[in-house]
Amino acid sequence: MKDTLALLQKFNAHPDSRCWYVAWNPKGTLLASCGGDRAIRIWGREGDSWECKTVLQDGHQRAVRKVAWSPCGNYLASASFDATTCIWKKKNDDFECLTVLEGHENEVKCVAWAPSGNLLATCSRDKSVWIWEVDEEDEYECVSVVNSHTQDVKHVVWHPTQELLASCSYDNNVCVYKEEDDDWECRAILEGHTSTVWGLTFDPSGQRLASCSDDRTVKIWKECQPGGTDTAWKCVCTLSGFHGRTVYDIAWCPLTGALATACGDDGVRVFKEDETADPDQPVFSLSAHVPKAHSQDVNCIAWHPKEAGLLVSCSDNGEIAVWNYQSAV
Amino acid sequence: MAHKSEDLFDCILMADDRFHVEGYREGFDEGTRQGMIDGRKHGASHGAKLSMEVSFYYGFGITWKCLLQNNTDVKARKRLKVLESLLGLIQKFPHEEPQYEYLQEDMEKVRAKFRQTSVIM
Repeated sequence: MKDTLALLQKFNAHPDSRCWYVAWNPKGTLLASCGGDRAIRIWGREGDSWECKTVLQDGHQRAVRKVAWSPCGNYLASASFDATTCIWKKKNDDFECLTVLEGHENEVKCVAWAPSGNLLATCSRDKSVWIWEVDEEDEYECVSVVNSHTQDVKHVVWHPTQELLASCSYDNNVCVYKEEDDDWECRAILEGHTSTVWGLTFDPSGQRLASCSDDRTVKIWKECQPGGTDTAWKCVCTLSGFHGRTVYDIAWCPLTGALATACGDDGVRVFKEDETADPDQPVFSLSAHVPKAHSQDVNCIAWHPKEAGLLVSCSDNGEIAVWNYQSAV
Repeated sequence: MAHKSEDLFDCILMADDRFHVEGYREGFDEGTRQGMIDGRKHGASHGAKLSMEVSFYYGFGITWKCLLQNNTDVKARKRLKVLESLLGLIQKFPHEEPQYEYLQEDMEKVRAKFRQTSVIM
């Protein structure tokens, strides 16, 4: 029996424009997508298919690059090329724009909620990473502005259990941040990729970080000597020769530990970890591959938070595809 | 007699070379002098730009500190804290040392702090 990646449904989410990102809400009942048409769409399950429940059209003046659900599922943050980040509050089936976070000088490339729900991170083409705090009255305040990257920052991601933030950039590096005295500082710079690093994802335990890059490789990093104020990460595995073009996104399944990638060669791939390998020298093998998952670049890939094997991807052609991954073992 | 005539020819033969060397030396000295003048102007102009920037942030910080000092509500306290942090960074900044090795890094920190402060106010 081979591992399989089967297409369940494919639909056009953002007519005549790119679909930039897709994100499941924490319960897995809703899917948010955003695109070049400046809209955010919320999709809900109707039997076997996904239907559009809501369209948030007037929140941004330019393309919406990423969307992120708060850990409680009641808020949605959207990062846009119009240099703002919008916070939406869910009210029954509709969403209301609560506040607009301004401050970045140009395109905001990513927004991410910390697992605690109190912190939010944004990053931008202006090379900075901003950390915001939310208080009980839904007021957002900027806690820190960090300029550790020397180029456009593409993605930010929070550690699943600790207050630790990671970002990656056009400068080929990954930066890891920790809080010191109410101020966030870069505590480690992970060098190794030879081109833009587009995506980051932590493994379910938070001990390892996977990064994907324009250099067509995926790197797995592990923290050496965890604990203490400083943090040091080492590259323990590099997956090369699998991707034909830039790898734009990577997602580590919180339920099964499988690693999925979204590639500029229009393909979607899933990697499985070898259980018998030394934990300090992990081995990943290509488990499933759909070469023409979409007719254009695949921009995002996301695992369902509750249903093992359910995977969603989106592409430059405006389509969203839902997949079922089955591991033979 | 032979000695003198040798010198004479020597003078003529080596004239080209001698003028070449003299000319080079004079040009080099002149260039060094001019370079010093240009460098001084350049340094002064960059130094002025940098201190204009830092002083602007400082003035901004002090003004807001004066305005918020007597305010006792929670929000004002938080803002004052950020302001103090900005002023602290600037005060620590070595104004007299152009060769300070962390100059660029610290300037970036000050700029980032100012961005945060201006968004918070």
